[in-house]
Amino acid sequence: MDKVALYAAVNTKIRAMEGDFLKREDYMNLLQKKTVADATRYLKERTSYSRLLGDIRVENVSRRDLEDILKRNMIKNIDRLTHYFRDDYRDFIHSLYTRYEIEDLKSLARVIFNGKRPEDMERPLAFLGKYSGADTAKLFKATSIRNLIYALEGSAFFEILKPLLDGKRENLFRFEMALDMGYFSIVRDRMQKVSGEDRMVLKKWEGMVADLYNIQWIYRGKKFYRLSPEELLNYTIDFGDKLTFADRKAMCYAKNLDELYRMTMDSGYGFLFKKEEMSRDIYMERRINRFIYYRLRALMRKYPMSIIRTVGYVWSFDFEIRDIISIIESIRYELAPEEIRKFLVKAS
Amino acid sequence: MAVEKMKIVGVIGKNSLLSRVLRLVVVNGSMHVINALVRVNSSDFFLPPSEKNIEALEELPFLKPYSSKRDFSHDEEVVSSLMNLFGISPKVKLEHLGQDYDYDEFMKKLSDIHEEVHSKDIEINERMRSIEQKSKYIESLRYLANYSFDMGRLTGMKYMAFRLVKITRENYDKLKKNYENIPAVVIKIAAEGKYVIVASITPVSLEETVEKIFSSLNHTILPLPEGFAGTAAEVIEDLAKSIEDDEKAIDALKTSLEDYRVKYIEEFEKSFSRLEMEKKIEELKTELAVGDKLFFLFGFVPTGSVQDFKKALESQFGEDVIVLVDDINGGPGITPPTKLNNSKLFKPFETLVKMYGTPAYNEKDPTVFFGITYMLLFGAMFGDVGQGLVLLLAGLFLEHAAKRTGLGGVLSRIGLASTVFGFLYGSVFGSEEIIRPLVVRPMANINFVLAAAVVFGIVLIMGGYIYNILNSKLEGDIEEGLFGRNGVAGLAFYMILLYAASHAALAKSGISPALVFIMAGLLLLMVFKQPLAGRIAHADKLYKGSPADYYIEEGFGVIETLLSMMSNTISFIRVGAFALNHVGLYVAFATMGEMMGSAWEDVVILVIGNIIIIGLEGLIVFIQALRLEYYELFTRYFRGDGVEYLPARLKGIPQASGRVNFFRSMKISREIGTHIIAAL
Repeated sequence: MDKVALYAAVNTKIRAMEGDFLKREDYMNLLQKKTVADATRYLKERTSYSRLLGDIRVENVSRRDLEDILKRNMIKNIDRLTHYFRDDYRDFIHSLYTRYEIEDLKSLARVIFNGKRPEDMERPLAFLGKYSGADTAKLFKATSIRNLIYALEGSAFFEILKPLLDGKRENLFRFEMALDMGYFSIVRDRMQKVSGEDRMVLKKWEGMVADLYNIQWIYRGKKFYRLSPEELLNYTIDFGDKLTFADRKAMCYAKNLDELYRMTMDSGYGFLFKKEEMSRDIYMERRINRFIYYRLRALMRKYPMSIIRTVGYVWSFDFEIRDIISIIESIRYELAPEEIRKFLVKAS
Repeated sequence: MAVEKMKIVGVIGKNSLLSRVLRLVVVNGSMHVINALVRVNSSDFFLPPSEKNIEALEELPFLKPYSSKRDFSHDEEVVSSLMNLFGISPKVKLEHLGQDYDYDEFMKKLSDIHEEVHSKDIEINERMRSIEQKSKYIESLRYLANYSFDMGRLTGMKYMAFRLVKITRENYDKLKKNYENIPAVVIKIAAEGKYVIVASITPVSLEETVEKIFSSLNHTILPLPEGFAGTAAEVIEDLAKSIEDDEKAIDALKTSLEDYRVKYIEEFEKSFSRLEMEKKIEELKTELAVGDKLFFLFGFVPTGSVQDFKKALESQFGEDVIVLVDDINGGPGITPPTKLNNSKLFKPFETLVKMYGTPAYNEKDPTVFFGITYMLLFGAMFGDVGQGLVLLLAGLFLEHAAKRTGLGGVLSRIGLASTVFGFLYGSVFGSEEIIRPLVVRPMANINFVLAAAVVFGIVLIMGGYIYNILNSKLEGDIEEGLFGRNGVAGLAFYMILLYAASHAALAKSGISPALVFIMAGLLLLMVFKQPLAGRIAHADKLYKGSPADYYIEEGFGVIETLLSMMSNTISFIRVGAFALNHVGLYVAFATMGEMMGSAWEDVVILVIGNIIIIGLEGLIVFIQALRLEYYELFTRYFRGDGVEYLPARLKGIPQASGRVNFFRSMKISREIGTHIIAAL
């Protein structure tokens, strides 16, 4: 199919589905709710989620069930979009699941590592197996990280994790890092297979995401993990938009955090460290996500007839679910609406 | 057609002969062993005071149960390990047991062989592992094959560490770009697809740091062998040679195992049989009584097998054992086991009878009556030439090909009955257009069919009465046989009641007062059955318990008799109803078939319909016929509280009279099953 015709069709579908997103006043109303049940009832009665939450009893709904329903809905909608694409493009859309599956896999690994059972988890694992095709029943049966890796045998993740199996090194940290690194190498692989404007815009987009994550990683690695510069550098993502390898390397070898802040300012991502020290760590994630969200909208406006519209829809959906869950969690911990707003990505 | 007669056989012999005597008992396979102490202490046990018996008589007051328990776990381990190793399927064979042997000696020898064999097996596994490891080394060394360093010096360095590592291309790029900061010499040796193989040399003191850096690159260490001198190519050669040696050694070990196999295969095969035998013997020993020098063994042997059994014992042990053969007298004591002996035609029905209960030793075996009536009931309800033949063929297949003699036998016989009734009804695979009926078409003569079913039921019920009267006569039970509600009085009452009812219905006149008086008299006889029987038998007491309880029970008993006579008789109407139902079901499918457009669709519907009718209705009729048998008939005359004849023998050895009972596992559910069937 011709690109223009293709994106005309896909974008129409996306616009229709975006109509189901929460409106600004929905967020405002949700923020005013005093109990989880009230918030859930609002979702059930006043928003497009009513048809998903039809069977749920708002009085004793758990965060896990709610999140699971929302995420499965997201999967359903993304699956709808894949039908518009063929071959490499379809593979690319499919790889958008990788991010969420790896997130789920990491939380499962953490639960196993802490000697708990997957049934007791707060988070649902809706995306497990979506990209890798791994057998979820087998994953849930694993009782150690080693078993978990063996349970992934035959999936795309096994190759990435296999080196952890020799010897005693299969700890949680290495498991998480290996998957994160694996994610970006999968993304880069897929990106290379799309063509023309799509590739250019994706490169810009993923490069920016990689830049942000790299700075966050280097900052955390320096501040909390005390890793050697060489290890830090090895764990960075090997591409970027504004940051070159030399920039990344310089950041890794920065003598102290102040030097790192200065370098960040020069790079154009200074907003990450703007405010006072305390709020920096708590809100960094949110600041990254908000930046991503607005850059995404800018890119979508600039390149409307490209694949970025589809990517944007998926991310936007993810942010919406994150926001809903943040609100629900915050209400549970009795935060004031003003406080809650500081954690939200799409609404504020 | 009967319950086979039994004799009590006792064997007394020296303790040293115990195992060999028990072995012979198991091989012979005709003795139903009972507890020896119970037998010795029973009132009718008598040991003739002769010179031969003198020693036994001396020990008689001091007998104890056999107590020591043997542990076979080691033997079992040895045997199963050998079976696995040589791929021998465990099978009990008579020829392995017939010879005279000493079990302990045999096991000792086997255990020694096992030790040798086992160590060889372990060595084979070790060598296989070693080959695997060496192959890995060779794989790593291949990357170094072009270089001419001495591997011994490379891996044996004191202050420097040499490593061969595999990482992805992307990660190699990272490493290269930051090379100035890596405290190691890193050389790219080879590239393979997505991966790069690098060699690194680093001072031992920095090894940990380098390890961490490689770790952050998600590396895989390629193992290198230690203690080999020469270039990589030479080491590869050495390793290849060593693998060859291992392979040769494995071959040699395997041949030597094969030698063991050839040499001892018979012993191995014997071992399983003999172990099973020993376990069985151990089981039997719990029933024995032992004294200081002698053991006492008792059991029931069918009369026909007593001579063979005695001869076998005497020919092997001669004067060393005393064999006692006693008749069973009717008195109280040990219940003799029941061995049913029926002709081939009725034998399969034994399994259905035993599902309800095993007939007592002195009871009339109901199998023949059951077999005939069951076939008639099933045939009448499921009369169809085609479907009957399908059942017959399925039954024959099960009976002969699948060796399910019980189920298959029953199925083939009721299939035959169904076929015969199919001719009477003129039905072939449901269709009534192919052949003419010899007697009647059920759907065309509904009233006749239903009435015939009730009349048939009346005949069966009377058969039940007669059976009960004969059984009571055998046991000398006057109370039940003459005055009981299933005895002569009950039968007379039933017949008069039927006569009166039919007379009243047909002639539309009242019942004559004389008949009413006779019936009332018969009811009174039933109420007073116990005191009357007591008077006739000149018993000490007229009532077994308190008279008040007795009369309350019997009063209700009479009411129940009146009710159940009605319901039992009417119950047989279902035989006719199912005959109609059978036709009805086919008509439904035939109508559906006609609604289909084409002829072949019609045929498909009819085939599916026939499968459903055979499967579903066949099962229902099977159960309904069983329900009629158990509930309307067996309750009338059959107690089924006997003990099944289970001679001491080993599974898998074919015996002349042996037959595996497929329903044995179902016996547990028997009680529940009977209740469910009664409720239908």
